[in-house]
Amino acid sequence: MSHYQHELSSNGKYALELRDLHCYYGSFCAVKNVNLTLERQKITAFIGPSGCGKSTVLRALNRMNELIPGGRVEGKVMFHDQDLYDPEVDPVEVRRRIGMVFQKPNPFPKSIYDNVAWGAKVNGFKGNLAELVEQSLRQAALWDEVKDLLNQSGLSLSGGQQQRLCIARAIATRPEIILMDEPCSALDPIATLKIEDLMRDLVRNYTIVIVTHNMQQAARASDYTAFFLMDRDDRAGELIEYGVTNEIFTNPKDKRTEDYITGRFG
Amino acid sequence: MSEKPTNLAEQFPEGDRLKSFIDRRKKMGLVWRLIFQASTIIAIIALVSLLYNIIVGAFGFVAVQNKVDPASLVLTVEEERMLSASNTFSSEDDNELVAGIEANPNAIGFFGYAYYIENSAKLRAISLDGTMPSAETAESGEYPYARPLFIYSTPDILESKPQVAAFTNFYLSQVNDVIEEIGYFPLSEETLAEAKQNLLAALGEDPAGELPPVNPAELGAEPITISGSSTVYPVTRHMAIAFRRAGFTGPLDLEQTGTSAGFQLFCNGDIDIANASRPITRAEVGTCQEKRLEPVEFRVSTDALAIVVSSENTFLQNVTLDELRQIFTTAETWAEANPAWPDTPIERFIPGADSGTLDFFTVTTFTRSLDDLPKETLLAMLENNISPGLLRRYEAEGPMAERTTEEVLNLVKERVVEQRVVRSWTLVESIFKRAEIEAEVAEIPQAELEFRSWFVPRFLTTPQASVPEFAGIRTAIFGSLWTIFITIIIALPIGVGGAIYLEEYAAMVGNPTLRRINAIIQTNINNLAGVPSIIYGMLGLAIFVRAWEPLTSGTLFGAADPTTANGRTILSAGLTLALLILPLIIINAQEAIRAVPQSLRQAGMGLGATKWQTIWSHVLPNAIPGILTGNILAVSRAIGETAPLVVVGASTFITVDPASPFSKFTTLPIQIYQWTSRPQAEFRNIAAAAIIVLLILLLTLNGSAIYLRNRYSRRMS
Repeated sequence: MSHYQHELSSNGKYALELRDLHCYYGSFCAVKNVNLTLERQKITAFIGPSGCGKSTVLRALNRMNELIPGGRVEGKVMFHDQDLYDPEVDPVEVRRRIGMVFQKPNPFPKSIYDNVAWGAKVNGFKGNLAELVEQSLRQAALWDEVKDLLNQSGLSLSGGQQQRLCIARAIATRPEIILMDEPCSALDPIATLKIEDLMRDLVRNYTIVIVTHNMQQAARASDYTAFFLMDRDDRAGELIEYGVTNEIFTNPKDKRTEDYITGRFG
Repeated sequence: MSEKPTNLAEQFPEGDRLKSFIDRRKKMGLVWRLIFQASTIIAIIALVSLLYNIIVGAFGFVAVQNKVDPASLVLTVEEERMLSASNTFSSEDDNELVAGIEANPNAIGFFGYAYYIENSAKLRAISLDGTMPSAETAESGEYPYARPLFIYSTPDILESKPQVAAFTNFYLSQVNDVIEEIGYFPLSEETLAEAKQNLLAALGEDPAGELPPVNPAELGAEPITISGSSTVYPVTRHMAIAFRRAGFTGPLDLEQTGTSAGFQLFCNGDIDIANASRPITRAEVGTCQEKRLEPVEFRVSTDALAIVVSSENTFLQNVTLDELRQIFTTAETWAEANPAWPDTPIERFIPGADSGTLDFFTVTTFTRSLDDLPKETLLAMLENNISPGLLRRYEAEGPMAERTTEEVLNLVKERVVEQRVVRSWTLVESIFKRAEIEAEVAEIPQAELEFRSWFVPRFLTTPQASVPEFAGIRTAIFGSLWTIFITIIIALPIGVGGAIYLEEYAAMVGNPTLRRINAIIQTNINNLAGVPSIIYGMLGLAIFVRAWEPLTSGTLFGAADPTTANGRTILSAGLTLALLILPLIIINAQEAIRAVPQSLRQAGMGLGATKWQTIWSHVLPNAIPGILTGNILAVSRAIGETAPLVVVGASTFITVDPASPFSKFTTLPIQIYQWTSRPQAEFRNIAAAAIIVLLILLLTLNGSAIYLRNRYSRRMS
């Protein structure tokens, strides 16, 4: 099957390791020199002001950047001791193993059932689809709400439900890591809390990386926090500080982190 | 930045200035709104006038002229049947008929009522459907073998020529005294009184009064001219002789020309009195009115036929019209016409072929219209009137035995009657200028006015013909459908495929040279959409018709149409039109694909789907409504194209349905174009009808595409 499947047992420490990561759009360097290790089965939050490159870094983790014309990445992203940007690695497989949830809920204009089942189908899932759909919807805490509406369009759900459907859709391919790009920015506070609870549930089985503007959310929900900031000179984003969330929020080492989390800018 | 900070809030208008400022802006908006409204109205007016033009052309009055009068054709056929029936003796001399019938109990015959009266001792008249001929039943029309006799004049003539008024007065006062002598029925008092009232009214006197006494000797030697019906002639002649005997000295010119010719002279102002054996028609009144003549009618008598048997006949008292038809044609024995009668042969005695009496009998007994004739009679007409060679050709196209009565009728109309539309009017003219049209038609000999819809089922089911009223668009409809089918199956997949490549893949190409090529392709596609269609026609001629001839003529597959076997085929036309609409389809499909939210692509790719899986499952289904809309526009354009097909070689006159992509063809727009360029107005009428068909075809195609689009849209949300 996969050429890094066997590595799982030998190296279990990090989910992902970013080495000297640079992200470009055309000739513009959007993010520079990021070195970061992401812990397995933990929630890591990327925070920082707008334009600091946190979303770009997130998208670099499952090679979504290259879907944007001109998008390009330099450096390494190690996943089970394998560089995701190695020419031998197929981005399609990367995205199957590292799923993604987007800022705006974007269910397919299909039935709820098909929304969840489609990813599994295209990835060659051979088992019982109905069982997979039910399990995924249960894990996304949506099953009880939609079990009688599986044939209705995914678009008929509320915003919070749609986002949980997108999470169910992402976990239906059984990835190891789930990337979430500001998943709650379009949701009301109650729906936001539901998603956060869900993340706490999911992290027992999955590694989660979340980009958020909401510092309370980062403080509440994440285990680790990485703070990004745009370099004033070349307008490239860079990683300022990374550590256990508690540490970052109570005892930041960098002055800029402290300024940001205390609300002096951003 | 100024030194002293000004209060910026004061820089906005306030109070009255604010009010007038808002008003001004609103007025500006109103002006724009009116401009937009006007544009919409102009567009609507343009569309409505287009439709108006088409509909006005497709319906309206036509003057149908028959080279051969169908009534006389029917008459000839029926007279022939009567004259050729077994045991039939025919003579111009009524005395011979009387002699033949009188001693023969199996004989039957007919002649003028007068002769029956003369010979009533030897003969017996029989009733028809229970009606015996008599003055009353004949005058009321209850007895069918009777016709009214009239004379006509006008108030102007009666007033300006006292001798005409005096003669008419004399006529009406004396006619009943002498009529039986001539052999016609006298009028009832009421009918005669009505005629006299007409005269009084025409002379400007009190209609309730009495006609003044006439003294012909006192009149000057002014002339009286009379013409018209030969049936009325003996009566008028009798009256004229009596008038002269009473002292009239002027010249009295009396001719017999037939009723219709008499009316023509009369309405031309050439004669003073018209004799007529039928009432004047509306059209004839119209012709008269054009010359400011107001015809006044005077009924003078009733003519009738008697159907007679010998006084020795015991079984025949009454016949029905049906029995009468059989008695004088097919029935050999009396029992064949009616089982209650004896099984003895019928012996028929009828007036000769040149006699007006036979005509009158035939016209009254048998149907007058071609439409009511049985198929056998129509076939007989065809056989008698067209060449054997032509008949064989028709037989080869479709055996007469298998053709419907209507088809045979159409053949008779086309080939024997040679019915032609000699003049046509638009719907508006037909509605508002009816009287003028009728007057005009009256001047065309043998012409009849008919309201015609050119858009009839027959128009759809018959192929092209050289005569407009027999031309149809069947071949053109099939040609259009075939061509458009080929256009769609070629242009749609290629166009959508190209659009997918340009939208989804070309942008991701890394190689700068390839990127530049893609950009050039994109620009060229946009420009191609504006190239004049004739250029595509020239391209199609050079490539599909000439260079690819083995392919487009079908010789490559051994499927060539033997009548064509060149590249001017449906396939070439379809390929040319496909080229023509390809840029439109690509551009529209690109728009539709671009409109699919980027988030759907990311969601698909983010799940580990390949690019193609994402395009197939999410991009295309969401783009299909838009792609279909673009396709509707493109196909509508292709259906209406004429110029490129003219170049590619559409046939303008073709009567064979296309059978395969390798057949020669014509299309609706080609047909319309060809018809509109013909000089005869009737071709423009059928062109209008063909445009209606084209519009309906377009609506159907668009409607089905819209239906498909809506179904897809509903499934998506």
